[in-house]
Amino acid sequence: MKISAKKKLKRVMFCQIPVILLSPFKDISPHLYNSTVNMIHLRSIMGKLTFIAAFCFFVLFSNQSFSQDGKALFSQNCASCHAINKDLTGPALAGVEDRWPDKKMLYSWIKNNQAVIKSGYPYAVDLYNKWNKTQMNLFTSLPDKDIDAILGYIKVEGSKPAVDPNKPVPGGVVAEEGDNTLLFGILTLILAIVAFVLLQVNANLKKLADDKEGIPATEPVPVWRNKVYIMFATLVLFTIGGYYTVMGAIGLGRSQDYQPEQPIFYSHKVHAGTNQISCLYCHGGAQESKHANIPSVNVCMNCHMAINEYKGEALYTAEGEEVNGTNEIKKLYKYAGYEEGKPWDATKAKPVEWVKIHSLPDHVYFNHSQHVAVGKVQCQTCHGEITKMNEVYQFADLSMGWCINCHRETKVQFADNGFYSIYEKYHEDMKNGTMDSVTVANIGGTECQKCHY
Amino acid sequence: MVNVIAISGCSDVKREPGSIYMPDMAYSRAYETYSERDSTIFTSEENHSDDKIFYNTLPVTGTIARGEELPFPLTKDAAGDTANYAASKLIANPLPPLTAEELKESERLYLINCGICHGAKLNGNGPLYKDGNGPYAAKPAALVGDAKYENMPDGQMYYSILYGKNLMGSYASQLNRDQRWKIIHYIKAKQAEAKGGSAPVAVDSATVVKK
Repeated sequence: MKISAKKKLKRVMFCQIPVILLSPFKDISPHLYNSTVNMIHLRSIMGKLTFIAAFCFFVLFSNQSFSQDGKALFSQNCASCHAINKDLTGPALAGVEDRWPDKKMLYSWIKNNQAVIKSGYPYAVDLYNKWNKTQMNLFTSLPDKDIDAILGYIKVEGSKPAVDPNKPVPGGVVAEEGDNTLLFGILTLILAIVAFVLLQVNANLKKLADDKEGIPATEPVPVWRNKVYIMFATLVLFTIGGYYTVMGAIGLGRSQDYQPEQPIFYSHKVHAGTNQISCLYCHGGAQESKHANIPSVNVCMNCHMAINEYKGEALYTAEGEEVNGTNEIKKLYKYAGYEEGKPWDATKAKPVEWVKIHSLPDHVYFNHSQHVAVGKVQCQTCHGEITKMNEVYQFADLSMGWCINCHRETKVQFADNGFYSIYEKYHEDMKNGTMDSVTVANIGGTECQKCHY
Repeated sequence: MVNVIAISGCSDVKREPGSIYMPDMAYSRAYETYSERDSTIFTSEENHSDDKIFYNTLPVTGTIARGEELPFPLTKDAAGDTANYAASKLIANPLPPLTAEELKESERLYLINCGICHGAKLNGNGPLYKDGNGPYAAKPAALVGDAKYENMPDGQMYYSILYGKNLMGSYASQLNRDQRWKIIHYIKAKQAEAKGGSAPVAVDSATVVKK
């Protein structure tokens, strides 16, 4: 299914139109109204059904208090290294009871794995070697009944079928909406033709009336030689052509909306939006240097050593093609030289060659730390709503007018700031009340040599 | 007219940066950050330094910046060994207790770098874990509320930040030495606060800084 990002956005917006907003359309197009309202109702019913199902599921399993204790104990003691269905620092635990040849040995392993290894028990020694001799924590004081509860919890969780994240969510697809620009274009064209026809009719009627009254008719001038029409058409072409020529010329060397394809489909929406990772986690250089650094592969691997699959909502490229998030993580592993299940050797990593989007000409000096750390400017002010971008595009045109405009409007923290103590006149004016705030422009933010030197 | 056709011909996704007219002083003659070095002139491998200019962007091993904390004396344990991790317990935090202002800065650094996993409340339940509903499968350490971490000496925490531990990666590239020790101070202060004691905040002239 190919849907452009724009249409997708419209779709989302379309779903959120409350029924009330639609009511004026009831009279205009009852069919459209009914189908849309039904769709909204259907969706809310589906939502409720899903909720009820999830609730039943929850109640069903939470009734097993045994398993519930196990969950707490598991989370407290095991979860930092083990998951049920996934290898982490330690192996996945689903089916652990079946794997161990002797249940008694499993219990003594959990309590003191080092003692079991020393005793030379073959399964334990194999396991220890297979996991690169990673030592498991000792749980000598964990009573048998707690281990029972944990194992019970693992059994219940391990037997659950894995949820397929790629399964489409039921709820129906909202009818596609046509692009309005085309509609308006056609309407304009029709109106223009109607106006033209009416003008012709008017001329013909005038001619008829003139004939009747005996006024001699002048030779009619054909449309293509009518000076008024020619002048009008020239004017329109000149205006439109001139507009696009000027806009194109201004846009030369600027690259607003530039949205290159990156080597890995890295979604800022997923990382900075859904998962709330601070911009400065990866781009920490923005607060201490001229450049907002591109994170090296080890920063990605901080999380992606454990996160090896993508389970969130479907991802689409700007062209509307669906992206498999898990495959994109695999691409990262290739750059990192990481093989799942083995310890990562960071020296094997190769840098990812990301495509630079925001470029300033060399004759402009721009310093990130000056804006981020001193000026406390939000990243989004210049980079747009990054937390909503799957693929990043250049939000601002980065023109000089754009810079200057912000410098004129942005107020600096002037009071109680030792850095600005030399501006005696402004301090005086602030005291007298002739000036209520100091902008960046006031302290030289529009001087040429501030940015060009 | 040509412009009109050219513009209407484009799709709405702009994959190319567009053209530039007479790029006067637009591109840097000097090597800029992240710009590719000419491989016929430069090399990043030391054993090729005879015929090319050797440059690998790293400072000489053992370089210490002015005012920087001294490096951690222990190296990373080999796989299966925990000797240095155990030894790290004996290394004390070289920084004096934090002033109120430093504590605020440390909190900011903690929230940026650690909070996503260990949680804003230090309970090991950050937005990436979310009680097991987040994308991160392993439960991050509960720095507050778990006796193991409350009793963990500063040096051992530093070892984990510097080299990583279990699934946690190394934060050596994201935090400098000073910041790492400060964050440990912050964690210890929060742990003390949770236990009911007052946070060991130094009271000196810096705490009365104008806000």
